[in-house]
Amino acid sequence: MAEVAAVVKPKPRPIIRIGLFLISHSLLVSIICCVAGVLTLLLLPVLAKNTYISENALMPGSASPMLSSADASDGHIFLNKIMSIDSISTNTGIEIPEMIGKHIIESGGEVNYHQIQPISDNFHPLQFFLGPDVGIVRENYSCTSYGINTVGIVRAPRGDGKEAIVIVTPYNSVKTTTSEALSLGVAYSVFSLLSRVSWLAKDIIWLAADSRHGEHAAVAAWLRDYYALSRGDLEKNQDMCGASSVLGHELTSVKRNGVSNGFRRAGTMAAALVIKVAERSTGFEKDGLKIYAEASNGQMPNLDLINIVNYLAVHGQGLQVRVEKIWSLLDSWWLYSLGELQELLGKVAKSLNPDWKIGIPASDYVEGCATLASSLYNQALGVPTGPHGAFRDFQVDSITLEFSPRFSSSQRVLFLLHAGRLVEGVIRSVNNLLEKFHQSFFLYLMTSPNRFVSVGIYMIAFALLIAPLPLVAAALFSDASKSKSGKDDVSLEPSHPGESIPTFTAWNWLHTAKTVLIVHLWGAIVTIIPYFLCQFPNSSPLTSLLMWTVSSLVGLFFTCAASGSLSIPRASQLQIREWTLLKAVTVAAAFIGLCLMSVINYATAQIGALLLVPMCLMAVPLRIDVSAKTMKALLHGACNILLVFAGFPPTAFLLLRGALDSFDRVRLDDFWNWTESLRAWNSATYIYICMVHLPCWVLCIRILLHRR
Amino acid sequence: MEDRSTTGSWRNKLGFWKWAIASVLFRLILTYFSKNLNLSSRPEVSTPLTSLRRLAEGYWLKQLSMSPYSGSMYHGSPLLLSILGPLTVKKIGGLSSELLCSLVSVVADFISAILIRATGTSLVRSHLHNWKALGLDKLFKGDEAVPSGDVAALVYLWNPFTIVSCIGFNTSAIENMFVVMSLYGASAGLVPLAAFGWVVSSHLSLYPIVLVIPVVFLLGYGLDAPPRKLFAQSNLKGGEKRSADHAELKSLNDKFSKTNFSWWRVVIFFFWAFVWTSYVLIMCAISMKEYGGLGEMFKRTYGFILAIEDLSPNIGVLWYFFAEVFDFFRNFFLIVFHVNILFMILPLAIRLNHRPCFLAFLYLAVSSMLKSYPSVGDSALYLSLLVLFVNELEEMQFTFFLFCGYVGISLLSPVMHNLWIWRGTGNANFYFATAIGYACFQIILVVESVSAMLNHDRKIRKLCNKV
Repeated sequence: MAEVAAVVKPKPRPIIRIGLFLISHSLLVSIICCVAGVLTLLLLPVLAKNTYISENALMPGSASPMLSSADASDGHIFLNKIMSIDSISTNTGIEIPEMIGKHIIESGGEVNYHQIQPISDNFHPLQFFLGPDVGIVRENYSCTSYGINTVGIVRAPRGDGKEAIVIVTPYNSVKTTTSEALSLGVAYSVFSLLSRVSWLAKDIIWLAADSRHGEHAAVAAWLRDYYALSRGDLEKNQDMCGASSVLGHELTSVKRNGVSNGFRRAGTMAAALVIKVAERSTGFEKDGLKIYAEASNGQMPNLDLINIVNYLAVHGQGLQVRVEKIWSLLDSWWLYSLGELQELLGKVAKSLNPDWKIGIPASDYVEGCATLASSLYNQALGVPTGPHGAFRDFQVDSITLEFSPRFSSSQRVLFLLHAGRLVEGVIRSVNNLLEKFHQSFFLYLMTSPNRFVSVGIYMIAFALLIAPLPLVAAALFSDASKSKSGKDDVSLEPSHPGESIPTFTAWNWLHTAKTVLIVHLWGAIVTIIPYFLCQFPNSSPLTSLLMWTVSSLVGLFFTCAASGSLSIPRASQLQIREWTLLKAVTVAAAFIGLCLMSVINYATAQIGALLLVPMCLMAVPLRIDVSAKTMKALLHGACNILLVFAGFPPTAFLLLRGALDSFDRVRLDDFWNWTESLRAWNSATYIYICMVHLPCWVLCIRILLHRR
Repeated sequence: MEDRSTTGSWRNKLGFWKWAIASVLFRLILTYFSKNLNLSSRPEVSTPLTSLRRLAEGYWLKQLSMSPYSGSMYHGSPLLLSILGPLTVKKIGGLSSELLCSLVSVVADFISAILIRATGTSLVRSHLHNWKALGLDKLFKGDEAVPSGDVAALVYLWNPFTIVSCIGFNTSAIENMFVVMSLYGASAGLVPLAAFGWVVSSHLSLYPIVLVIPVVFLLGYGLDAPPRKLFAQSNLKGGEKRSADHAELKSLNDKFSKTNFSWWRVVIFFFWAFVWTSYVLIMCAISMKEYGGLGEMFKRTYGFILAIEDLSPNIGVLWYFFAEVFDFFRNFFLIVFHVNILFMILPLAIRLNHRPCFLAFLYLAVSSMLKSYPSVGDSALYLSLLVLFVNELEEMQFTFFLFCGYVGISLLSPVMHNLWIWRGTGNANFYFATAIGYACFQIILVVESVSAMLNHDRKIRKLCNKV
């Protein structure tokens, strides 16, 4: 056979030769790639670019704000009314919607009320493959407690009613705080102004969302009904809840003024702004503004929306704009020294060639890293950071603006003026749009409010990190085949030239592929176990976690036993180097899983790759290390054990939390609560952990414990 | 995959019937949940040609005495409309109407699997027979060929592509069944069945028309065998050595004569093909009588396939290209793309005329790569036909790479579609990139399988020369 191959085999093409070269040096290449990947990740704050407004039509700040102090004081009166309602002891949660409705009608808008109920969480693990369930209609209504969203609409004098801009102010109708009242005041002053202006080309929807059952739930329920074909009539629900509904009685007074209860719609939404006011004021001299942008599964609004808010807030109203950052990273010494190192390198580069402007001040670098880490973490969680997340599910760009005023109560009018002018400016900009947001980036990470890392740059870090995986898989695979055919050559005596005819060297991976497939199927079972555990509502997190672990172990045992019956007949000689093949297939599976995850949610894939790639690449049976008895081999084995220990999802989570916070407050049931929240928000991260990370971890353990 | 056991023990180990029935049960369970999975709206699963939802629409139009082809909704055969149409509206109990149609698909899949198994069994038999005839059987220890029929049938039944397209509410399972039927008919020598399968499958989806070449070879030369001149050589050698043994010489002469092309069966095939074609056309003409006749049918079905009118995204590469191309180049590129399939036919037929079943696999793979509305059902068919040649392709290269590629692409493609259509953060290029990747993997599969097959033939020649 060897002769046949030698005769037949032509010289391989250049691309194959390059591939062969890389495969033969896979160890070196993988070390270089991994180190380069981690370095690039750490350099991202340096590589970040300044934001710029990409869509010319937006023209932020080109018109002077029209919101006068009279509007602001109107808003203040409105605010006081709400506060006075709130202080009445018999607040049933209807007075405020009624009051808002009355004011909307007075300022010339249309009103309707939308009833929401708490919905039970349902888990859609296949949504990334099949698209969202658009047609969900809740069938069972209970009349126990529901929130009432108040929706006010201004029809645009210059528009055709096909597009709309949404302002959302979440507030708790039962117990309204001052800050919620302030946000309502801001929205009211802007709304009453917009009902008078002549330049409006898109309808304005003001959604005063009742956050009794959670801010996100209220907004999501309204959006679902807005996009459903025929639902959301208050009357219909009232009929179902019986005529005794307090609401029906109370709202009749408003209804007489010409408010219909039919669900009112404006056009498709161009953008949505959620306005909130922070409870505590910041210690800064200026009013602060915090921007939250992360929606479910790491989706971000178009960068232009953040840009105009940032531009108007900084240059128009003089606010201090911030995005979230991980504070504990700010005073980490190693990050600071890394920052100083890159600053030094930047200076050296500048001295060599004055045109090279790389390197940023060390403090900026640390701040950028902290922001970037927070941005990565929030995207990786896949849980929206505010009610704006509900809009992104319908492809509407939206952000939450959280104002943090430094006021005493006497300066409220001034605050209303500033915040109102900012909101007005943003709406005026969005109003100019001819198409929906498309010019700027959708995939980016923020390193500060005016700096960002785009997909083209941050993908480099990820690509470098996972590039070794296919190489190592190919190298291991060719190793396994080679050792196999080498054995053939030994046994191939001249007397039996045909001995090696049906060797099936090309198909010997089938058996290990089966093992890997079965472990991944087990991962799917692990994914759905918590769904059944939730049927016992009264168990503590710790017992749930224990039950999850135990049932997963039982499941692993049973799947392995069941897979024994499905045996693909295999060669006896192959068992010798079986772990090589197993590792090759595991690495390939990890590669596919990470690539897939990087498309669904980049941040999860990046963090997952940091854990998974070294673990998969290092895995070698411990027996080989032990039998080698050299210092290097023992170190290698210890490294392996350490990586596998750190790679187990609960320990990885607890270690990370301990490192960022403090180890005193870390408890085991945090992990259950964390996964539970991921599951409730339909996060892809949860599926990634259970169906990619965990199976690969189990396979790595299997490789480590492999008997020679 | 390599063991030193006989085919019988292989067969016992595999437990064909156990797994076949399990797969049918699995399908039935999934059918029950098909509403939740909503696979019928996936572009990978149902194309404008195969979608049963479109068929239901066509049936509804026909019930209203309108042409089923009006409104560019339905593009399938009028015969399917009469057979499957009533099933799309009928309901059993409270269950949805999709259940009945899915049951038809399950039955069609099962029949295809049985036919593939029968074809594979005869392929293995002829494989062993040929090796014996060439005097190479002593190189084996026992008869150790893998029962490729059983494996291929199980691969067909358990392939996720087949399962998805079976419960995805479309007609590709039925089309595949007719293709397999014609191959089985040709390999078993049942000329009318071969002609029937060929005519109906070509009528349903046009592309199987190229299968006429492998079917004719199958009928003329018989099943897949090593190149014919090897038989002649070994006859000569054998004749010299054992000229005394009269009986053996005679049997060898028989074998030698077998390598001749039997024109008679081919003529019968064409006769039957003519009969079935006229039968199908008459039936179509009857059902299309009030709606524009056969001309309208040809225009709306084959015209729709050839002119690529529907540019909605699918896993092929043509939709993107024809969405981008300028209108005045359109006809030119239509010709170029269709001729692409035809270009491959002749060289492959010349080079591989001694392996007609493998040729059929190649034609199916090539046409599923370049056809205007491909779906995963097409891949399901050619992948299981590939497994029929597992004995010959034992040294195929890049199998692991191809496997990973197919798995990766089939997971990535829906996610890219989600990113483009539902999230709005991607665009058409994202999805098209996976389509290109998929096409590349198919090309590699075809190239590698052909080269593995040719290497196999070379190896046999070498061994023959040694013996």
